[in-house]
Amino acid sequence: MTPATLNDYVLISAVLFAIGFFGVLLRRNTLVIFMSLELMLVASTLALVAFSRFNGTMDGNVFVFFILTVAAAEVAVGLAIIVALFRKRHTVQVDELNTLKN
Amino acid sequence: MNYLELLRALLPETALVVGALLALTFDLSFGVRQSRETRLHAAVIIGTLAVVAAMFGALSAGVADAVFGGVLVLDELTLASRLGVLMLAWLTLTLTGGTARLRHPAEFVAIVLFATAGFTLMAAAQQLLVAFLALELASLSLYILAGFDKSRPESAEAALKYFLFGGMSAAFLLFGFSLIYGLTGSIELPQIAHQLARQGQSPLLSLALVMVLVAFGFKAAAAPFHLWAPDVYEGAPVVSSALIASASKLAGFTLFVRLLWPGFGPAAGSVATAAGSPGWLPLVACLSAASLLLGNFAALAQSNVRRLLAYSAIAHAGVMLLGVIVAGDAGLGPLFYYVFTYGLATIGAFAVIAVVERAGCCQKITDLAGLHRRSPLLAGCFAVYLLSLAGIPPLAGFFGKFTVFAAALNLGGLAGPAGWLALLAIALSAVALYYYLVMLKQALVVAPADPASAPVPVPADAAIVLVFTALLLVLLGLFPSVVLRIF
Repeated sequence: MTPATLNDYVLISAVLFAIGFFGVLLRRNTLVIFMSLELMLVASTLALVAFSRFNGTMDGNVFVFFILTVAAAEVAVGLAIIVALFRKRHTVQVDELNTLKN
Repeated sequence: MNYLELLRALLPETALVVGALLALTFDLSFGVRQSRETRLHAAVIIGTLAVVAAMFGALSAGVADAVFGGVLVLDELTLASRLGVLMLAWLTLTLTGGTARLRHPAEFVAIVLFATAGFTLMAAAQQLLVAFLALELASLSLYILAGFDKSRPESAEAALKYFLFGGMSAAFLLFGFSLIYGLTGSIELPQIAHQLARQGQSPLLSLALVMVLVAFGFKAAAAPFHLWAPDVYEGAPVVSSALIASASKLAGFTLFVRLLWPGFGPAAGSVATAAGSPGWLPLVACLSAASLLLGNFAALAQSNVRRLLAYSAIAHAGVMLLGVIVAGDAGLGPLFYYVFTYGLATIGAFAVIAVVERAGCCQKITDLAGLHRRSPLLAGCFAVYLLSLAGIPPLAGFFGKFTVFAAALNLGGLAGPAGWLALLAIALSAVALYYYLVMLKQALVVAPADPASAPVPVPADAAIVLVFTALLLVLLGLFPSVVLRIF
């Protein structure tokens, strides 16, 4: 079996990104949308690590550490917003969040 | 690598973060026995001191080419944008002191300061990692600010929508960054520009540019990535909306114009002639045209004041994107002047809404009826802001539009999309004037719905914000070179 090339990694990360993107667009549950968002971030992480390995520079790897931290912060803020919303509306379905419409 | 140099360059951010921590500590140690009013004023005073210290920090950091191995850059744009963002943050804080009723005042002020630290860092970032971190620091703080009012379900809903769109745009930006890094082998803008100039166009580069532009479109609230803006402007607490509409916009445009021109400039393409050449400029031109059309026409149908301001913000984003297009040729002066004066006028308009809302309800345009009797100061200032947004001389909004359009027409006359966009924007300014005048008619001409309606009291802090922004809009309109000669 031949070792994986840069193209394979970039392709996988693009597929992951696309899955995440369609998850955000198509799913109706806020928590699942949230997981899809994280998948999109992870896809970029994979691409960065692969590029870092094949470019021979460390910048991409350093970038990944910061992304993980930012993703954790984003989860904290996002879940807090979902909890605040659930307390008021008793739902996490996006279709039912339509008080703000003209 | 010189850490002292880095510390001096980051003085504004240091001042803001220390101020935020002080506000929290003070509230936790002394605030518990005080009334909510006292706690709010204490937090606002600490916050204001931090912002003033940050302004001095930004001035004393001076101008340097590259700091800490090129991570940050301190040029004229950094200085102007930092001072502009800090001034808008100061106005937001003062408005908070005057009008907000918050259950957690110190937390609110601290998060405003964190967001401001993100903005000032965005203004100085010259490397993809710092740019991303600054953007996320600002965005995460803004999500919290949008959902800060836990007593209203609309606030949480606005925050969720802002968060979902924002999170997606951050993911797009990150994927775009990773592709750029893969193509050029560097995350520093000068090296990226150097590499791109050697490589030329490739499909992967186009994909990366599209992804970065999606994130830019979100941050600028440009169509078709504008969906969050009306909901957030309407649902978020007024003070948060003011910050999101003004300072966040200025910082976002500074960050992205720096990414696009000094970073991805070799892949810009051209829109000066009808044939043009491929690159990101034609895409930005499409975003600009879509925002101009959608913003202006959708605003006509609005009956809610804040939604109307949101759609007018989308229309203004179209002109700002035109300013980005001309920045390569005419420099950053027109763009910065336009975004800054737009921020001032918007923060003023939100200040009027905040004061009226404090005295009762301010949802529908008709709620503004008879404002000239209920509070002449509010009505007069409101007229200045709206006429500036509409672009009536001698106010600053007129000169901002004028410089951007003149630069766009200089680019290639009417031979290319840049000139056509300028013509479109000029034609749509007439549409914009209509909906601004509809609001002004309610405020200045129509009699109050209830003849006995009480006058609107204007708190001293809010009066400072109102008079300061109105005066600045008139003065900058009369002496635009004060801002333009920085560049």
